[in-house]
Amino acid sequence: MILIDGGQGEGGGQVLRTALALSLVTGKAFRIDNIRAKRSKPGLLRQHLTAVQAATAVGGAETQGASIGSSRLDFTPGGLKPGAYRFAVGTAGSATLVLQTILPPLLLAKGPSELLLEGGTHNPFAPPFDFLSKAFLPLLKRMGAKIDARLERHGFYPAGGGKFSVRIEPTPDLQPLELLERGETVRRSARALLANLPVSIAQRELSIVQEKLGLAAHEIATEVIEQNPGPGNVLLVEIESEHVTEVFTGFGEKGRKAEDVARAAVDHTRAYLSAGAPVGPHLADQLLVPLALAGRGKFRTCEPSGHTRTNLDVIRRFLSADLRIEAEADGKWGVEVK
Amino acid sequence: MKQGKTKPTVLIGLLGPTLDQGRNAGRWERWRPSIALCQHEDLLVSRFELLVQPRFESLGKLIDADIRSVSPETEVRRHVLQVRDPWDFEEVYGELHDFARGYAFDTDREDYLIHITTGTHVAQICLFLLTETHYFPARLVQTEPPAQRASGEPGAYKIIDLDLSKYDRLASRFRKEMKEGASFLKSGIETRNAGFNKLIERIEQVAVASRAPLLLTGPTGAGKSLLARRIYELRKSRNLVRGSFVEVNCATLRGDAAMSALFGHEKGAFTGATRDREGLLRAADGGVLFLDEIGELGSDEQAMLLRAIEEKVFLPVGADREARSDFLLIAGTNRDLRREVAAGRFREDLLARIDMWTFRLPGLAERREDIAPNLDYELEAYARQSGQHVSFTREGRERFLAFARSEQSAWLGNFRDLNGAVCRMATLALGGRISSEGVEEEIERLRAAWKADPQEAGGDGALEALLGPTRLEELDLFDRLQLERVVEVCRRSRSLSDAGRRLFERSRAQRKTSNDADRLRKYLLRFGLNWDDLFADRGE
Repeated sequence: MILIDGGQGEGGGQVLRTALALSLVTGKAFRIDNIRAKRSKPGLLRQHLTAVQAATAVGGAETQGASIGSSRLDFTPGGLKPGAYRFAVGTAGSATLVLQTILPPLLLAKGPSELLLEGGTHNPFAPPFDFLSKAFLPLLKRMGAKIDARLERHGFYPAGGGKFSVRIEPTPDLQPLELLERGETVRRSARALLANLPVSIAQRELSIVQEKLGLAAHEIATEVIEQNPGPGNVLLVEIESEHVTEVFTGFGEKGRKAEDVARAAVDHTRAYLSAGAPVGPHLADQLLVPLALAGRGKFRTCEPSGHTRTNLDVIRRFLSADLRIEAEADGKWGVEVK
Repeated sequence: MKQGKTKPTVLIGLLGPTLDQGRNAGRWERWRPSIALCQHEDLLVSRFELLVQPRFESLGKLIDADIRSVSPETEVRRHVLQVRDPWDFEEVYGELHDFARGYAFDTDREDYLIHITTGTHVAQICLFLLTETHYFPARLVQTEPPAQRASGEPGAYKIIDLDLSKYDRLASRFRKEMKEGASFLKSGIETRNAGFNKLIERIEQVAVASRAPLLLTGPTGAGKSLLARRIYELRKSRNLVRGSFVEVNCATLRGDAAMSALFGHEKGAFTGATRDREGLLRAADGGVLFLDEIGELGSDEQAMLLRAIEEKVFLPVGADREARSDFLLIAGTNRDLRREVAAGRFREDLLARIDMWTFRLPGLAERREDIAPNLDYELEAYARQSGQHVSFTREGRERFLAFARSEQSAWLGNFRDLNGAVCRMATLALGGRISSEGVEEEIERLRAAWKADPQEAGGDGALEALLGPTRLEELDLFDRLQLERVVEVCRRSRSLSDAGRRLFERSRAQRKTSNDADRLRKYLLRFGLNWDDLFADRGE
């Protein structure tokens, strides 16, 4: 049994999701201790439990300690069971994080899967659906994965009620990914999603983005989402380059000024553009597992966060792949599997 | 190492018509406690028992749907809480109490939380009390809004376990009150029988908390009537009743008079109805009606009573308008009412209505450890009534208790027998001391009574035959006992004069009286009896 110290490093939830995904892929059982030991609310939270339950369902797994507040979890996978699943997630968590947990094993399963994921699709502290569909999944497809995701309804914090479906065809051999350069910028755009809120919010956000990033009028758009249960506002900046598309997000919240929302998205975008590496920090986190599963490949990113390093440590516990992360010139870093 | 508890959490809470309100999308920016409790990352509510007043049904549905959205893990069950006035303590308490009682708590499998932030202050107090008294075997949960009120964040919650020591002071205060209540019901007698004490504690809880009818069963003389009166007085001391205590033995209600005695009549309802009569039910309005020997009630009266309990209305004899009375019913019986139902003598629906709380009072023979404290109580009672302090000699007390606790004593008439024994011994005691000789004499009397006529072991048998139950009911125990013994002496005497001589022997010796026979005749007349009456039932 693989032992993981859940109190070490950063990203308690990320460590758990990576461990769950790789346990299902490899069939190796694990125990995670001291789950979120140093946090104000230690132990498993609901969003973690949702991930555990999803992993248990698709992996025929057995668990011990899978309850709120538990500081230790034992997870013993059974056999992968591809098929049709529906997972509903409370709004405090995000449906996209559930997908992140079960996508790698289902890609390698023997049959196709149809997932219906309900809950938040555009929540703070989680990749929004647009990031999955525009940035992450296209790279997975490039690695040979046959995967199709469709957003059916937006779900914002706190009302939720979002829904997206994902179809996964078995892809036993992931091809290596080689992503070293961004290439020419092909297209830039900024979209402000808005539900049950005054349009002026979107206009204020977009005017700042337009000014700071120097976007043309046709590169900005307001997208009003009708028939949504609750209020919602997300600002998405897309940078489509020759070899990769990146998505940066600003989340509107009650009490947060539209200007601040716009500035957050602008800051992320500018940092990415000035770093010159093709892969931003969030995308780097998502790519680690597929890269390791492919067994070979390399991408370039900016300086890895503590989050990324912790994630790498967990991957090394499950896979024998030689996973390296090295600083290169101009503040760029290379992540490579040999 | 903490392994999280695996019992699912069940939340019970009231829909807050004020705090939980909001219909448009903006409601998500308001802090709604019932929703917020289902949004916390470290609290997983598996089931939410949402109590909804009928007029807020549509808000209840919306909250239900919103909870499902923010917390798909939560199963929402909506319950109708029939409360007309959420500020009416009695009504709210009654409804919540009924809910708690009717709810199938499974504390081995589930953890319960009672949400006390929503609802009126009255509802919050009631929830607290019901949790404190373990009607809700639960912990309390209190929610508070986020610092930034309209942020859409769930804010904070606090779980309060009233069983924890820091709340002990509250709990012990409550327990003390409960104990006082129980002691009150036992007339301050320090009973030792565990079963009986438990029974009284439970009756105390019910007497204070419930407005549902109570049924007291148990043998004659077990103390049903006394207990009913104490329950009334306890409720009165807690300000739970405003009306009076009305008591009637249904065995004394016979024929046409029964209906009008219970339900009243209007002037001219029948021959002789020259005035309106209120009836016992109306007299008990706002108070307690104790119907002893309810099994003796006729079928018409049973039907009317059922309606009066269920709908609080009934029709007085000869009236064309219904009368209204709201009373707490306590019924007493020494019969097996189920058997009476089977035999067709008692209405099944009436029994179902009155036996929600059935308490069987054990006979004295089943509570022999309680004889000593009751003996002291009876001596004190005698002292209060007669103004004479009487006590046992040490041997006398030991002898009496040895007999009373042994299987040799049948205690067929239960407390009535004990009361009679003490009164007799005290009356006959010389110099205020009950000696072992006095005790031996009484033991013989008791034995003879239990042997001779187990049916009439109550001691009132002879008098009841002479006076009828109604008039007997009106007599003080003091007079009853005196009359009983006087009648006994008379029946052993040849004539009125013979009896008079025996009864007034001392006065005669001291020349205080001249005409013993006349004195006895007048005494008997006070009870409506003459010499021949005493022998009317003989020789049949």
